[in-house]
Amino acid sequence: MAIYFSLLCYSMVWWLICYSAMYLSATPLRALSWARTGFIGVFFIPIFAYQFIINFLGVKYSNKILLLGFYTLSIPAIILSRTKYIYNDIVLHSWGYYPTAGRYYLVFLVMYGLLLSYVVWKVVEAAGKDALSDRMRQQLRYLCLAFGIGTLGIVDYLAKYPAIKVYPFGYVCAFLFISLIAYTIVRHQLMDIEVIIKKTLVFAGLLASVLAILVLPTLLFQEYLFRDASVGGRILGLTMGGIIIIFTMRKIEDFLINVTDKYLFQKRYDYKELLKTFTAEVLTVLHLDNLVNLTVDKLVDIVRISSCAVLLRDDEKEQFGIVASHGIKDKEITLFKLHDIVKFLEHTHGYVLMKDLKEKKIYIPPSVQEVIENLNAELVIPMLLHEKMIGMLSLGKKKSDEDYTQDDLDILLPLARTLAIAISNAELFEELGKAQAEAAQREKMAVIGTLSAGINHEICNPLGIARGQCEAFLLNVKDGLYKDKSQQELIQKAEEIMAKVIKETDRATAITKKLSSFAKPAKGEAELVDINKEMDEVFGLVGYELKLEKIEFDKQVSSSLSRILVDRKQFQEVLFNLMRNAGQAIGEKGKITVSAKEEKGRVIIDVQDTGSGIPQEKIKELFNPFFTTKEPGKGTGLGLFIVRQVVEKNGGKIYLKRTKVGEGTTFTIEFPAHLQKKEEKRSYETTDSRDRR
Amino acid sequence: MKPRIVAIDDEVEFVDILKNYFAPRGYEIDVAIRGAKGIEIVREKKPDVVLMDLKMPGIDGDEVLNLLKSMEPSPKVIFISAYDDGGKTKARLLRMGAYAYFDKPIASLRELEEAINKAANGSRTGA
Repeated sequence: MAIYFSLLCYSMVWWLICYSAMYLSATPLRALSWARTGFIGVFFIPIFAYQFIINFLGVKYSNKILLLGFYTLSIPAIILSRTKYIYNDIVLHSWGYYPTAGRYYLVFLVMYGLLLSYVVWKVVEAAGKDALSDRMRQQLRYLCLAFGIGTLGIVDYLAKYPAIKVYPFGYVCAFLFISLIAYTIVRHQLMDIEVIIKKTLVFAGLLASVLAILVLPTLLFQEYLFRDASVGGRILGLTMGGIIIIFTMRKIEDFLINVTDKYLFQKRYDYKELLKTFTAEVLTVLHLDNLVNLTVDKLVDIVRISSCAVLLRDDEKEQFGIVASHGIKDKEITLFKLHDIVKFLEHTHGYVLMKDLKEKKIYIPPSVQEVIENLNAELVIPMLLHEKMIGMLSLGKKKSDEDYTQDDLDILLPLARTLAIAISNAELFEELGKAQAEAAQREKMAVIGTLSAGINHEICNPLGIARGQCEAFLLNVKDGLYKDKSQQELIQKAEEIMAKVIKETDRATAITKKLSSFAKPAKGEAELVDINKEMDEVFGLVGYELKLEKIEFDKQVSSSLSRILVDRKQFQEVLFNLMRNAGQAIGEKGKITVSAKEEKGRVIIDVQDTGSGIPQEKIKELFNPFFTTKEPGKGTGLGLFIVRQVVEKNGGKIYLKRTKVGEGTTFTIEFPAHLQKKEEKRSYETTDSRDRR
Repeated sequence: MKPRIVAIDDEVEFVDILKNYFAPRGYEIDVAIRGAKGIEIVREKKPDVVLMDLKMPGIDGDEVLNLLKSMEPSPKVIFISAYDDGGKTKARLLRMGAYAYFDKPIASLRELEEAINKAANGSRTGA
């Protein structure tokens, strides 16, 4: 893109220089010659403008044949430019010489018009799109304006027809066009040439200051103070200027850098913003992945660096690896704990700043050099937690090409320490989550153990019945009880028995399947779950236990209830625990009612028991990790603490809806209803309500 | 004459086996899948032996046993149950006067038949 822009600028400069020469020409012949030379620049302006915009907008489809046509046209155009076919003649107007259009001039006028209006159209079209970043939108706004004004330059073409009497102010348009684009580049980062612009500005400023400092004293000495001793005065002036330059050069440079920073670029970066962002947005993140990625993003954004990476220690593998990065070469870098750079940072608790090392000519081992290069790093800071290095923060060069200053280090070093704390927190939080999942699984297996009586019954009973049916049949045959029956009747009897046997073995299989499916650890993947079905499944597991205790079970679920998006197994675990808790709260004789309804896009499931209720003073502790009302050693179940963790992890919530000592307790879980199903459901509801009326 | 039996068990399939086995052998067997109904039948039929499950909705083994024991004539009670608490309940019920206690599933229908016959004969000789 920068290439097309520079070509565009070159062609404009070509045109303007030639036309300036034309205006300054003494004879019409020379003026015409300049005008004709200038035409070559004029010819290329719209083509380069077109390519620049196509490139900037990233338009995939660009008409290659059209472009090729234009470029091919440049050959006859250059040849013809020397002839009268393009510029016929030159006329002396009140404001100077100006050429008149030749026979084929119209071709180029049309081309200019077409290409530039196409460009303007493309820019306007792009500006209208929604999916644009704010910066891009700003850039486009200025480009619209620039090309709009640029298109006005067509007046120059028209002015070449004697019939059209207009002053060719195209050069003003060109000047405005270039100025606007330059402004967009600087102010809205149209092109990533900040550093060049900045250095150029600083350099130009320095040059001007040096010249001024040299010239002013010299002039002063020569013209006013030592008018007679002309050479001596000049030398004295130059010497004075030289001395002033030596003492002020550095200060002037700093001043110029500051001024360009202040007015053209964001001032280095805002320390306050860095601190605010990190304390408010980054360091509080508990999810490790998000935390490190946010760290990298924000550092790149605020400190304005070209690359950044967070490396974390892997205690098992005894190495450091990249967990988040931006703009680095090799994302797979791992550093063993005995790597030179690791050892250095670990022992010194200092930092590696490339500029420092180079300035002090400190030997950098090739291994360190390689890592620094791969990380694109300029500064590497250790992340220390209780004097242990848990990771490294690598920062690349600043986009402004400035060096890291002591000020930077004063803020980045403590930031890295704070980051270490945040990362360690996030890691602990993650481990806690894992530990909870493991605890849930362990508890579940323990509960399955205590379920054995019920499960045993559920499996052995059908098998026993199958066996009994067969035994009865065989004994009946053996004892001659079926003697009077015909062959046909006997076969029919056998068929009946076999059908019963199959039914019973199926029953046994179903329960073992349920059990093994329940025992498997949760996958941690959400799927659409039918609440009614899961309730039946869970009741299949707890049902017999409840029956043993003479507990009635009642389920009230509307068949049109929305499904919910949760981990199926975890949802089963939650139901299982609530139902089992309810059963245990009842002890003997009572009723558990499980009901599910939908309200305001949420599925609300109540598990109600007629048990002992929870005493007021225990309510607060309900969701504590170690809370239980059960005797030690009894199958305690997951505990409401873990139940709540699981519910929340699945996007739901759980709370105690009602409890009264001696009357019972109701726990409620809520999950967002899955929307698609909900819409279908709505139609059911309307038919329902109509029916009711 | 073969003993009269009343079987009380909420499991239809199990009751079905008992019927399939005992009816063709000439036993007079009545079945009930609800406790209360079972008691009614017992009162009406005055069986020699009552076969019953220990754990059924609305039924308490101990209570029913006491109730049956208090009847005149009182039938012999054989429990058939999958309930397993390490033999504690079994021991208690036997102490309380149950004639026998069979684990469910029944390992052998023959053994059950023998137990029923013994119980019935015992009651007759006792009576």
